[in-house]
Amino acid sequence: MNEEDLVQRAADERAAIVAKYRHGRREGAEIYDWEEQTFEVYHSLDRYGFIHDTNKHPSEERITEHQTPNELKIDREREKKWLKMTTPPSAFYTTAPDKLRRRVFKGIPDSLRGKAWKLILEIDKEKTAGKYQEMRDLAMKWSSEIRQIDLDVNRTYRDHIMFRERYNSKQQELFNVLSAYSMYNSEIGYCQGMSQIAALLLMYLDEEDAFWALSILIAKSKYNMHGFYIPGFPKLLRYQEHHDKIMHKFLPKLKKHLDKNGVDTGIYTLKWFFQCFLDRIPFRLTLRVWDVYLFIGERILTAMAYNLLKIHRRKLISLGMDDILQFLQVRLERKFEVDDDVAMESLGKCLEELRKSKLDYPGPPPQQELPKRKFGTFKEPPFEQKVGRRSMEFSRMEQSTRESVASRRDAAMAAALTAESPTEEEPSAPNGHARHSHDESSALPGASTTTRVNSPTEEAFSGRDDTFSYYLNTTGSKFSLEQGSMDGDGSSLLGDGSRRSLAETSITSTADLSVFSSAPRSQAADSHSICEEDTDQEDGGGTHTPTPTPRSPDVLRIYVPYESPSPPAMPLTPTSTTNGDILRRPPTSLDNKIRILVMDHTPPGNAPEDNTPLVELASSPFSPIVDLK
Amino acid sequence: MANRSGPQRPNGTAQAKICQFKLVLLGESAVGKSSLVLRFVKGQFHEFQESTIGAAFLTQTVCVDDTTVKFEIWDTAGQERYHSLAPMYYRGAQAAIVVYDVTNQDTFGRAKTWVKELQRQASPNIVIALAGNKADLANKRSVELEEAQAYAEENQLLFMETSAKTAKNVNEVFLAIAKKLPKNDQNVNPSVPVNITAWLTICVLRAGHF
Ligand SMILES: Nc1nc2c(ncn2[C@@H]2O[C@H](COP(=O)(O)OP(=O)(O)OP(=O)(O)O)[C@@H](O)[C@H]2O)c(=O)[nH]1
Ligand SMILES: [Mg+2]
Repeated sequence: MNEEDLVQRAADERAAIVAKYRHGRREGAEIYDWEEQTFEVYHSLDRYGFIHDTNKHPSEERITEHQTPNELKIDREREKKWLKMTTPPSAFYTTAPDKLRRRVFKGIPDSLRGKAWKLILEIDKEKTAGKYQEMRDLAMKWSSEIRQIDLDVNRTYRDHIMFRERYNSKQQELFNVLSAYSMYNSEIGYCQGMSQIAALLLMYLDEEDAFWALSILIAKSKYNMHGFYIPGFPKLLRYQEHHDKIMHKFLPKLKKHLDKNGVDTGIYTLKWFFQCFLDRIPFRLTLRVWDVYLFIGERILTAMAYNLLKIHRRKLISLGMDDILQFLQVRLERKFEVDDDVAMESLGKCLEELRKSKLDYPGPPPQQELPKRKFGTFKEPPFEQKVGRRSMEFSRMEQSTRESVASRRDAAMAAALTAESPTEEEPSAPNGHARHSHDESSALPGASTTTRVNSPTEEAFSGRDDTFSYYLNTTGSKFSLEQGSMDGDGSSLLGDGSRRSLAETSITSTADLSVFSSAPRSQAADSHSICEEDTDQEDGGGTHTPTPTPRSPDVLRIYVPYESPSPPAMPLTPTSTTNGDILRRPPTSLDNKIRILVMDHTPPGNAPEDNTPLVELASSPFSPIVDLK
Repeated sequence: MANRSGPQRPNGTAQAKICQFKLVLLGESAVGKSSLVLRFVKGQFHEFQESTIGAAFLTQTVCVDDTTVKFEIWDTAGQERYHSLAPMYYRGAQAAIVVYDVTNQDTFGRAKTWVKELQRQASPNIVIALAGNKADLANKRSVELEEAQAYAEENQLLFMETSAKTAKNVNEVFLAIAKKLPKNDQNVNPSVPVNITAWLTICVLRAGHF
């Protein structure tokens, strides 16, 4: 097929999809039987419109969202208060902030939720007349995301009465809103995960308001979801890093347990942050969390993640990897254990606790997380995008994300591996170990790599912090390489040293070669001084008695950073344009040093304070330092 | 699911003949990755399997001869946007199933790029299977069996056409992988002996090269 044919094919495909939604369910609708819900399978409808198939999954399905008579009474009273507070709408904005906050935390009555959300989000302020319709119409002609949106509308909340029927009015609205938004914000287009959010909004708002609500969530500084959905997900990495910080400080024991089981933050927080806990906690509680999320903003993501783990810490600590993930992915959505009001109160406390330690807010978004193009301006998509061709290259942001998650994963695996001994217990406060703290990177390899690499700041994009890690695990006297952490096949590392092959194996500016013996995991973690705090809280005063284990002696970590090719940076591959129009550049390292740190882990108490010889070589012996700045 | 509190990584030494492998599913959105896993793990099929955000984790155990093989399965999101997170799931994986939709030629092209990426970036001896899913829709087929087969042979991949809907070849593909995975201690505990000096040399050479 030549280019014209390809464009035509894509256009035809889009037109066919659009036509189906336009047609809806009227006579003559072409709906495959597999697209239709079978009617007889569902049994009951909960108060939010979800269909519960009690036959297929007895007792296991979403908990029935029924209200007790008492709850109903409380709800009625709240309705009165909220009605008063929201009529006329201007009354809402003159309500005392404290009172409003209290009431939002107690839960917005479902009958007034739409109205309240609209006021909280200040939708009318954001709305530009005619813009939505304009974007929607443009999308039907031009959007290159139509295919994916269609696939996802077909799979979004089909167990909800509103979205059950193929091409019904709500499915049409969902399709329209997402398509229009893909045109409105061309940097995001459409990202999987947005369909559930738009669907949730459509349960409470009309089509046009839902579009603006989505747009507010993505672009307004209170929520800033833009950075979550753009290629490379920079905000996700930043939030995960922040979450790790919170875990280290407030839930160190649980954090260690998760690490030991290879349950990396990157794995379980993604859906929490991308969708503000949709489908990860019972729907009724999700709505309560959304009430406060809309009201307070992005701090709720941080606080709720902490809250959730704090509430369930004892349970989680008793589980192994499979069960931890099962619990977080599936089980909590069905049964949260804790009453909604209690969970929400606890969320308020968590927020306060984090605020006191200045950890409630991961900080304002760095430049790269912010929208760059003006919203709602039409630009004809480039050929690749038109035909839905995938770019063969990653943008710089994506590349950085790839490296970051890879090294993070390697570190997690290495950490889990070294913590393998099941009897291992963290020794209590070893005095001699805080001494590595002068060198941040001498802590646990996982932790240090993670912290440094995962920061998607400008620095990371200049390539300085792109760390590529190997972990060598010693068993007895033989050195062995943990297979999983090996990037690329041996040949590309050993044989072919060309830039191209290095680029393809995603090797970046710094080689971090770590050799450690089988026990440093706990020691390293202990060097984190904050870990010593708050362990009681976590323990719940349990029967935990730490028993120090003898440490094995030799820990040798060798960092081999190397410097960048000389400027000007050149494209690495023939097809170097990316979906953005950034040229992919080779990593650049501004830091040239070889650092050899030998840690002698004599059992604590016997170790003289300054027992650690440190060899630091500040300039590269291999090639001259090139300053690229 | 068994409640394990001990070591989570493969450690074939402790219990006789229980091997644990990490397996990842990759492929374009809506080709049926989640559906294949659901079929394999729970024996079910949902027409409206929700799209996967990020990834989902499941486990399933199969018996091969006298060995129990436990799969830790990572089902990933198919949208291209999520590609940059893929290393998080395939690093350290001993097996992968790359899925395409037999009714959609584009998804086959996509599968090939996944295979390439795995060959370069995943563990060197990863076992890769190619699955042509939705085989029940044979009347809409756009990828010929022979074409995929030839490609698989060329690249030494296991290959089957599957259907999560009818269950055709679903267990079979996982079993074939289980069979092919090395089950001796050395491989269950995935470590490759390496000479430290050689490693340093490599790193230094690489440093010098740049
Ligand atoms: N006819 C048929 N349909 C299938 C088969 N497998 C999956 N489907 C349907 O294809 C659609 C997509 O399936 P998923 O399992 O969600 O696809 P996925 O690859 O996990 O998609 P992402 O999560 O977006 O990456 C669903 O509507 C399934 O019901 C199959 O073997 N035959
Ligand atoms: Mg899926």
